[in-house]
Amino acid sequence: MRYLFVAILGLVLGVAGAGAALYYNPLAERSAPMPGSTDRKLHYSLPDQVLEFAIGEDARLFGQETGDDSLWEETIDRAGVLGLVLNDGSNQPAALASRLLSASPDTDLLLNGVLVSDDWLVTIPGEGSFYVHADSNAWPFLKEQLVPVWYLDQPWTGPVEYWPTVGPGADDSAEVVGLTGSFRGSEGSAVEHYEITALDPARNVAQANGELYLNLPGPQVAAQ
Amino acid sequence: MKTVFLLALLIGFAGTLAGAHFAPALKHERLPSNTTVVSNGGRAEKFMIRLPADRIAATDGEAGGLRAKGADGVMIMPAQFVAEPLLIEHFKVRDSGGAVIGVAARHWNGTGAEATTTWSVLIPSRGALVLSSRGETRAALDSALRSRGYSAGKEWAGTVTLPMTGDGEGVVAAGTGEFENLLGTYRETWSVAAVDEDGKVSGTIELSTVTSRLQ
Repeated sequence: MRYLFVAILGLVLGVAGAGAALYYNPLAERSAPMPGSTDRKLHYSLPDQVLEFAIGEDARLFGQETGDDSLWEETIDRAGVLGLVLNDGSNQPAALASRLLSASPDTDLLLNGVLVSDDWLVTIPGEGSFYVHADSNAWPFLKEQLVPVWYLDQPWTGPVEYWPTVGPGADDSAEVVGLTGSFRGSEGSAVEHYEITALDPARNVAQANGELYLNLPGPQVAAQ
Repeated sequence: MKTVFLLALLIGFAGTLAGAHFAPALKHERLPSNTTVVSNGGRAEKFMIRLPADRIAATDGEAGGLRAKGADGVMIMPAQFVAEPLLIEHFKVRDSGGAVIGVAARHWNGTGAEATTTWSVLIPSRGALVLSSRGETRAALDSALRSRGYSAGKEWAGTVTLPMTGDGEGVVAAGTGEFENLLGTYRETWSVAAVDEDGKVSGTIELSTVTSRLQ
């Protein structure tokens, strides 16, 4: 009996130790390098500039209602579709973006964090469209903000900012492919940054300002 | 006693880390891919969208016509964009067998020298496929329906089949996951069977892709 008690105690302590190691694991907190000063910046605020947000039933971080148009099918129940207006430097609407989000199969709490595949399709009227493929690490936000504040009722201390982009580019930035108009044939990189400005579960309020830093040089291949 | 404690501690610690590393908790449900091999060695795959069931939302700009006004999910654009020739649509996507497998965004942009259409199709268990082509003319669907007798505010039933890829076909522009490093083409066809008095369109959108692996 004593052996059993000691074994259970050891097991519990081992699990707790590993949990602490995972919680403070620096491997799960990497992020892309800071954007260059010449990068183009498109920014948005949440929820003001949300055109539409449909989310899978198993992807509701804030426990929100999914409504009649929820992504309930089991193949897409951990995905989301977000329509956004993006503003330019003068804070005027400059672009429309569709973000298709899904839990990444590369999620690994030991090595990578909680990864979200974030596919942006952005159209800037008069310029064209481009596609951004980003892997974003949600783990720092989840452990520092969402779980303690939203679910454990701890007081929120903010604002707080995050650089979630962790790939899949070689330098941990997102990959960008120009599709149409002046972007056609160009390739580049992008990094996202966001600042949470309010998080209040009692009032059901979550607000953030986000920025997409875009480095998209001219076409790599001259038009024929 | 000490050995038992240390062994249990080690098992608890290592087991938890192993679970965090190998746990398949975030794997997406996957259905078999309905692909066929075409004569040149490429791979053909069709994606379907059933209207109105699979429409998630569409922008409310003037360029949208029936595709915007008849939708349940409306994306209200900023005033600056309402008169612009822009239409953003979000859909669920099905395989050729009719099962929902992903979500998609379609951007039609008529503000440049020529109209363009871009698609981003995300199948969570497989990756993303990005398509690009010359776009259809503004309000192409509305014009085609009117030429077959449709008038606004009245129910209509019939058959309209409309190719929506300018130049006949578009290109596979990018991909991730299973779709990474694929080259290919696609055709987009809208088939409309009915429009109700509120302007809600019933029909299908078919995306037919032919791809091959970049060597």
